[in-house]
Amino acid sequence: MAYEYHRSGSLEEALVLAAGDDSALIAGGTDLLVALRKRKRPAPRHMVSIRSLPELAEVSEQAGSLHIGAGVPMADVLANTVVREHLPALTAALAVIGSRQIRNVATLGGNLCNASPAADSAPPLLVYEATLELAGSSGRREIAISDFFLGPGRTVLRPGEIMTAIRVPLPGAGAQSAFLRRSRVAMDLATASLAAAYTARDGKLINLRLAAGAVAPTPLRLRRTEAFLEGKPVAEETLAEAAEIARSEVAPISDLRGSEWYRRELIGVFLSRALRPRSTRMKGSA
Amino acid sequence: MSEEHFIGVETARPDAPDKVSGRTQYVHDIAVPGMLWGAIRFSDHAHARIKHVDTSAAERLPGVKAVITAYNTPEVRIGFLRDNFALKRDKVRQYRDEIAAVAASDPDTAREAASLIRVEYEPLPGVFSPEEALVEGAVLVHETDARGRPRADNVVPVRFAHHSGDIEAGKRASKFIVEGEYTVPLIQQSCLGTAGCIASFDARGNLTLIAKTQIPFLVQRDFNKALEALGLEGRNVRVVVPALGGGFGTGLDTHAYEYIAMLLAWRTGQPVKILYNREEEFAYLSPRQSATSRIRQGCDENGKLTFREIEVVQDNGAYTSWGATFPSVMLVPATSLYRVSNISFESKIVYTNNTYCQAMRGYGNPEITWPIESSIDELAEQAGMDPYEMRLLNCNQPGETTPMGLKITTCGLKECLDRTAEKLDWGTNRGKGKGVSRGFGMASVINVAGGGKIYRSDGSGIILKLDDYGNVNVSYGGVEMGQGLHSALILTVAEAFGVKPDQVVINQTDTATCPWDVGTHASRGAFMACNAAVMAARKLRQRLFEWAEEIYPQQVEESLTKARKHNPEFREPEFDWRAAASRDRFELADGILRVQGAPDRPELQVELGRLLRAIHFRKQGGGTTFAEEAFYEPPTDLPDWERGYGNMSATYAFGTQGVEVYVDEETGEVRIVRLVAAHDVGRVLNPQTLRGQIYGALAQGVGYALYEEVHTDKGRVLNPGFTDYKLPTACEMNFPIHIELIETNDPEGPFGAKGVGEPGLVPTAPAIANAIYDAVGVRIRDLPITPEKVLRALKHQRAGSPVR
Ligand SMILES: Cc1cc2nc3c(=O)[nH]c(=O)nc-3n(C[C@H](O)[C@H](O)[C@H](O)COP(=O)(O)OP(=O)(O)OC[C@H]3O[C@@H](n4cnc5c(N)ncnc54)[C@H](O)[C@@H]3O)c2cc1C
Repeated sequence: MAYEYHRSGSLEEALVLAAGDDSALIAGGTDLLVALRKRKRPAPRHMVSIRSLPELAEVSEQAGSLHIGAGVPMADVLANTVVREHLPALTAALAVIGSRQIRNVATLGGNLCNASPAADSAPPLLVYEATLELAGSSGRREIAISDFFLGPGRTVLRPGEIMTAIRVPLPGAGAQSAFLRRSRVAMDLATASLAAAYTARDGKLINLRLAAGAVAPTPLRLRRTEAFLEGKPVAEETLAEAAEIARSEVAPISDLRGSEWYRRELIGVFLSRALRPRSTRMKGSA
Repeated sequence: MSEEHFIGVETARPDAPDKVSGRTQYVHDIAVPGMLWGAIRFSDHAHARIKHVDTSAAERLPGVKAVITAYNTPEVRIGFLRDNFALKRDKVRQYRDEIAAVAASDPDTAREAASLIRVEYEPLPGVFSPEEALVEGAVLVHETDARGRPRADNVVPVRFAHHSGDIEAGKRASKFIVEGEYTVPLIQQSCLGTAGCIASFDARGNLTLIAKTQIPFLVQRDFNKALEALGLEGRNVRVVVPALGGGFGTGLDTHAYEYIAMLLAWRTGQPVKILYNREEEFAYLSPRQSATSRIRQGCDENGKLTFREIEVVQDNGAYTSWGATFPSVMLVPATSLYRVSNISFESKIVYTNNTYCQAMRGYGNPEITWPIESSIDELAEQAGMDPYEMRLLNCNQPGETTPMGLKITTCGLKECLDRTAEKLDWGTNRGKGKGVSRGFGMASVINVAGGGKIYRSDGSGIILKLDDYGNVNVSYGGVEMGQGLHSALILTVAEAFGVKPDQVVINQTDTATCPWDVGTHASRGAFMACNAAVMAARKLRQRLFEWAEEIYPQQVEESLTKARKHNPEFREPEFDWRAAASRDRFELADGILRVQGAPDRPELQVELGRLLRAIHFRKQGGGTTFAEEAFYEPPTDLPDWERGYGNMSATYAFGTQGVEVYVDEETGEVRIVRLVAAHDVGRVLNPQTLRGQIYGALAQGVGYALYEEVHTDKGRVLNPGFTDYKLPTACEMNFPIHIELIETNDPEGPFGAKGVGEPGLVPTAPAIANAIYDAVGVRIRDLPITPEKVLRALKHQRAGSPVR
């Protein structure tokens, strides 16, 4: 596993290096190096680090949105007060990713670009309708996160293209969001996860967005379930019916983390737990 | 409680500072000059004929020093049935079969060369479960036995059974009978330190093997036999054991990779190291086997057990190692956990094309306590009894002889049951589960705790040697693998001989310097070592005191002379120390020699080192040095396995664990709220290491109960690593654990202690399963109890259909 490691000083330089033959971008390396070690992908000749690029290193509030540099370690995102205050689903997701050691190096950009169906930051960013900022040798573009994932390990990123930032519109007053997830033990990828964002008005769900992880080839929005619930009051029967729709809307596989059946079950449970008013939630549920 | 100085006193373990500061030398850290690295080419099929092996590309790779196969090396057979070979010639029977091996200048080259070896196979159909393997006309894993005689079926020719009393009469006397089938999965011992060895030959053909083993002397015997295969009769193998990063049973047999290292070292004339990485450890080392048990138990109208009937079928995998003898240990709880007079136990071990299996902590006991203790709860429910009361009613008693002929000397089971119930507030808490999803369960254990005789000798030798400074060097052939053996041994030697623990140093385990020991298994390490140490310490004191009769008065005279000169206020001691200086009046404690009844004056006390030097450099010549050996053979029987009868251990440990769980009824997840572990340990030697043994065992018990399983698909391991083989982490173990240590002071134990290595993981799984049942009314009979299994059972329960 011999490669040349490039620590580029600017985005421009990194883009040039990344456009070269047989090169790979590395941020925290917590996905990439594991994949190389397990020989899940061939070792590149050039490893281009984007961790210390100033363009990717900032978290700032800009015109009602939070701009999160794609190279910011998760621990720093998690420590950000705006994130903690306004983006509870993202906070909850980041808090369970790996361990403290992993979060100290792993980046949000890496989590998304790696495009694991189980990437925990994806469902929250899907329900917050984040926009991804990409830079390539032929210029910059922006893309909605719902258009980003193509399949396991596949995204719309062009060769050599770098994700520079994730832009998250900050939810308005009264908006609520939650993230639920189960794994076999701690420090494990999700068996299934679900994020929900909505506003409760007069007991009704308004502007509901739902997204699930580890239950389809990509993290996905549950648009049929959303449509069914939009504008409805939260009643147990409604939730049961919505859970049924959600279970049919996901397309999980059976693997060592859980069976297809169990993953569908979890999605149904998460849905009702995310939307049930707090007071009626079962004891011990997250 | 007693006048002992160190026994029972919380003492930091001696190996801790080096371990936490990274100074300890594991096999991973050791390199010897001129060392090559070995790598093995494993099979690509679960069952196939080997048609051709082409090693030419591997041989051409720069850095490769030797490539060996079964075709260019002598045949080396392994395993107690001799059904395995270091390198396979005609057929592979499992994915991990070793076909060829390489020695090269570095590990990467060795692995690359191994991957360049081309093997042509003729694939054969395989059998991947005992059921498949037992079908009439099933493909045979071994067509012949080790002597070349044709085999008729896939049943491994080892038999362990027990029949006592009258099962039919027992059934007739039963008011309630329960029956169930229970399974346990294939699991991995998960040592932090992976397997490895270094083999080096001297120019005369003697082999030194640095081996990650728990049985250095049995390994020596096996390897001496292998030397004969190389034409090296009369040459010797010296086995040196480095610090072990965990053993848990993995070191209870020799492994093909060790013989391969030996063959490569012999071929190249250079030392060869083979080291497994984590994936190799999972895929190519022997795990703990899966088993299915059918159990029937009954009780009369009062809850007295009337009979117990068990049939076990184990998946042996393709070759035979000690996993096949688990039923020898299953016999102990099957016949002797609680009082049951009518017993039937039958076991069958079946060859399959799965990975072959080996020992792990508990050695059959957790596998069989799982059905027994689950079934006790089922029976209690049938009988309308509190399961705790049923256990009390049938509790083992001190002084009884069980149907297997086990002589129970001390027995703290009743106290263990009572303490557990008390700590969990059993009476008020249990049985309230439904509705709150909280439940309480308990289960008990009986385990050998004074050795386990499965070999002609179950003994242990020890040598205590004194240096000129009063340090005691201990040579003991058993293995410290993290369990704290050395800590117990140091305290025992210090106490029994009369020095401070810091004056006791334990030498590296090495067949060249340590006396014979059968191996570190069956919770026997501290029990044996400390008993032998007490014997040797007594001899050492005796000889020292004989010499002191002459030397002590001289030393005292010297001290007094000095004191008279330097101290103007000196007063002669009012004590006739010359008369008192006799072997039966000496006392040695904390490294100071005194005589009984002497006033507490420094001049009348001789520091041990000074005494030893005075003896060694005796003025008139003819001095001596001190070393004493002792061999402790416990008073036990080698059982008659056909009958399943014999007192295999000098004493037995008992324990009860109780647990409170919370079950998430929507997701099926089980969370442990708290756990109580009450164990009859005989006597506490070092509370720190004893607790460590129980905590560690408990965590393994929790893993067995809830998380761990090696998944396979037609013999191939699907989760060879901790990504998908789930051990409980600190987050899962994040619940209060209350340990109750019950001291029964066993007369055969060193200072009253019993072996404690294994019992802690035995009852954990059934205690958890019983608590889940109490919480939500579903009984899971196959481990691990995953959320998915619980949820499925809950759904069946709600739908009103049976679980299976
Ligand atoms: C022990 C452990 C536990 C883990 N637990 C979790 C978990 O609970 N949940 C979870 O979701 N993940 C988990 N992971 C996976 C991993 O940590 C995350 O996906 C992490 O966010 C990846 O970020 P990184 O910076 O390390 O990415 P890297 O490994 O550096 O990169 C991953 C991929 O993305 C590409 N890439 C990275 N940054 C960019 C960019 N800015 N633009 C374009 N391409 C880019 C790389 O080329 C590479 O292909 C775990 C990993 C480990 C080792």
